[in-house]
Amino acid sequence: MKSRAWLAGVVGTLAIVGTTVATQNQPGPNQPAAGAAKSVGRGWPLAADPRNFQAVGPSGGGFGGFPGGAPGGPAGPGGPAAPGAPAAGARGAAPGTAAPAGAPAAPVAPQAARGAGAPEAPGAGAPAGGRGAAPAGAQAGAPGGRRGGGAFNGTARNGATPPGIEALKVDLYTSKDFYKDKALWTDKRYFRCNSSAAAENQWGNGGGALIGDNPPATAAWGYCDRDMPREALVSPYPFKTAQAHYEALMAETKAKGGPTQHTYATVPGEWTGRYGGSSETWFYMGKLQIPTVLSLLTPEYQKRFVQEIYHQGNSNVAHWPSQYCWPEGFMRRFHQAAVRDHHVMVTPQLVQIMAGVADNFVTNIYVGRQFNTSGAVPRLGADVPRWYGETIGFWDGDALITWSSNIQGWMTHSAFEHSSKLQTVEIYTPNRDASGRFLGLNHEAIFYDPEALVEPTRIVRTFTKQSNPDQGDPYMFIECVQTIYPVNGKATPLAPGATFQYEVLDMYGRPWAQMWEKYNEKDMEKPVNEDLFDFSSNKK
Amino acid sequence: MSRLAGGVTFAAALAMMAWLAVPVSAHHSFSMYDDKKIKVFTGVVTRVNPDVNHLQIFFAVMNEERTNVVRDAKNQPVIWAVEMAGSAQAAQQGISVNSFPPKTVFSVALKPLRDGQPAGSREGALFKCPANTPPKAGKHCDSVEGNQVFGNGPLPTPTS
Repeated sequence: MKSRAWLAGVVGTLAIVGTTVATQNQPGPNQPAAGAAKSVGRGWPLAADPRNFQAVGPSGGGFGGFPGGAPGGPAGPGGPAAPGAPAAGARGAAPGTAAPAGAPAAPVAPQAARGAGAPEAPGAGAPAGGRGAAPAGAQAGAPGGRRGGGAFNGTARNGATPPGIEALKVDLYTSKDFYKDKALWTDKRYFRCNSSAAAENQWGNGGGALIGDNPPATAAWGYCDRDMPREALVSPYPFKTAQAHYEALMAETKAKGGPTQHTYATVPGEWTGRYGGSSETWFYMGKLQIPTVLSLLTPEYQKRFVQEIYHQGNSNVAHWPSQYCWPEGFMRRFHQAAVRDHHVMVTPQLVQIMAGVADNFVTNIYVGRQFNTSGAVPRLGADVPRWYGETIGFWDGDALITWSSNIQGWMTHSAFEHSSKLQTVEIYTPNRDASGRFLGLNHEAIFYDPEALVEPTRIVRTFTKQSNPDQGDPYMFIECVQTIYPVNGKATPLAPGATFQYEVLDMYGRPWAQMWEKYNEKDMEKPVNEDLFDFSSNKK
Repeated sequence: MSRLAGGVTFAAALAMMAWLAVPVSAHHSFSMYDDKKIKVFTGVVTRVNPDVNHLQIFFAVMNEERTNVVRDAKNQPVIWAVEMAGSAQAAQQGISVNSFPPKTVFSVALKPLRDGQPAGSREGALFKCPANTPPKAGKHCDSVEGNQVFGNGPLPTPTS
């Protein structure tokens, strides 16, 4: 049973890969190498590749959707679905994906073939010899970014309801108190079938507004039949903790005679150099219905996620950390919009990865070191949570396996918050073409956050090497100089000489939420917190 | 010679103690604090900011009865801030986000701001009460059995 499901997954993956073309960043998707595919905890195929799905929307009027989506205009007509593909928007596992515990899920067929606007990339094809969890069945992604312009890409706008859809009496755009609507959060109509990324854009982020003539009640609708399967977001591995995952990979490596003790002569120095941005992942959020994302989260983090969406979509009060020069937070490393080039430096004992747009993401992987596990979370240094955590790792040949911990909890706008209990296992493996030429890195990351997530999640992406360090632009170290300030709870650009009443926020207590709760939730019935200060039992 | 060596050692020890409380390599001037004044508080932790340059503990000052906290005219808790060494140095003494979660009751001495704002620079040792066990009325955590001490020496005596 187990091997049959695995075989189905491999066959399905091969079938899809054989008919598809490249991503925006890689010459082509890579199949997991045979050795990696048999691993206990790495290299398992994706259940579905985000590049095969269309943006949930709505977008348009200046907002071009997300990489991989049809830029601006309506979705292309699309070809017939691949044989066996679920209907567009189908939820749940595709046939054959109900793998027994410990077996990888079979890939889910693409939602629909992409139509116009998705040119084939030159040199497309699936290079052989790659390792790691490769996106299966990738189709050409429409190049470009967030601001493509173009026609409305949604299903209804300005107060209309999409054909065949019965609107709820109260939804995110008409509600005065989203806390009271908790029972509706599992219904995508509550969010007008918007993705959380699209909800950010209702008021005109990135281009023309979609919110309509009587905002926010006239907010536009996305496509209710579009979504990614939840299976594509969660970890396929059986581990409950990052530690168990890392130790299993270590045991597997030891059984093969590892970990590999590299010297300067043997370390894969070809990794050192400059890479492009991240390939598309689901964490961009543009291709997911909000209830699907909510299904990943614990009740407290569901509430926080809906709070964010409400205030972006309904209140039009965006508090993105980087706009105030606040830290970006660990999870922004995984958001395409937060990273451009990646600069990698490899030595036998330390691998360093630097990237960033609004802040510096410096990942130092200390090879061969051990975590101190005596505290609240594993750590390398002092008992101080670090914005970007601390990371150890080991080599298994040319695969680098890492464990990150001691991460400061924070938020990622359009996505969900993470807690200070977040830990990751990340695996970097080389992608090569048929001749063995090094193309770049496959990066598989599994997220363990028992406070925020109901089960571990996974993101797989690729980085294409652009040059060695002797060419190209150097790393751009980022120092953020503030120009936008929270004035009366609203982001406001201020000119030199302007004055306003400065309010000191509790920076480790969800400062974005403090402002929403003070200025935008006055009449809402928020859940009551425990009274920190009641020690009346001491009165004796 | 040996007396000299002993003196040097003693001076070095004093310097180290001072450094652990407030680092010489601070990223801001400490002249904002009045070094002729010492205030002593027992409070309830509301937040620990583990900032690299200076760890700060925000706390609500407990009332004299030690049953609740002092409140202002709007019935809001009166919050003070005490800053000390960088978060990594503070962690060496056991002071961290994890060891001082919200609702922790502790006692601390500080040199207050010269302008009267509710903040100060930590002075001397810091005492943590056992969980949910504030001191008796008018007392501090150094009087509670089972307390934990962070740093050296007794709780300083207030100047006024």
